[in-house]
Amino acid sequence: MSHPRHALDDLLAHPVRFSISALLFAASKVEFSFARDHVEVTDSMLSKQVSLLEQAGYVKVDKGFVGKRGRTWLSLTRDGRRAFERHVAALREIAAGENSLASPAR
Amino acid sequence: MLLVSESAPTPHEAQAALAEANSQAVRVRHADHQLGWIVLGIAAMYLAVGALMSTLPDPRRAGPVVGPAILAIMIVGLVGLVFVGLRIRAYSRTAILMYFGGIAAFNLWNAIVFGVSIATRWFALTQPSYHFGISVVVAVIPLLVVAWLILRR
Repeated sequence: MSHPRHALDDLLAHPVRFSISALLFAASKVEFSFARDHVEVTDSMLSKQVSLLEQAGYVKVDKGFVGKRGRTWLSLTRDGRRAFERHVAALREIAAGENSLASPAR
Repeated sequence: MLLVSESAPTPHEAQAALAEANSQAVRVRHADHQLGWIVLGIAAMYLAVGALMSTLPDPRRAGPVVGPAILAIMIVGLVGLVFVGLRIRAYSRTAILMYFGGIAAFNLWNAIVFGVSIATRWFALTQPSYHFGISVVVAVIPLLVVAWLILRR
């Protein structure tokens, strides 16, 4: 049986990209500024990490206008959603390992 | 703050990452509440019109004041709804499905309530004005249920 770490996605192992993906996984669409405020990163950091996720086909970026104001909306693609699910499943398996060590069978 | 190391996260790091994912999901659910407030706003507008109609001696002949009053309620309500709508910065698939499902259910249920009210002569000339208010309260139930479902998440 292989170690669950092999199922981890290298791209999602980065803490900021993981947080962005977690936010987008829970949402249908998220505005750029909402993601920036809740992931607690700068505009440039968020842009950089979103670009990497977009290049991997995990995130879709939509630009539009509300009145005269430009708005950028982020969402996870189907591939991004699957990748995040696999990554979280692997994390759960790894985390479960600690629980089994912490409470050994008597 | 490193949640997941580049190689193999420890069980503790994995738990921290899962907690982070959970906290991000909670933030989206809180953002969804704005959709709940929009639904409540629509319900409030509808109830205000119903209450106004209930106070009239003969709601079928509303008179020159009631028309503009209803229009004012609708305009103020719509401006408020658009304001809240423009402020929405995130929403989940579940909340948006509940929102549009609730609006559709309200339209259907509202048509049924008013259809039955007319067919059973509940709105007949001989009936008191508050019958309009009662029908409006019954018709607005789907909106209140959906608002409650969204806001309790």
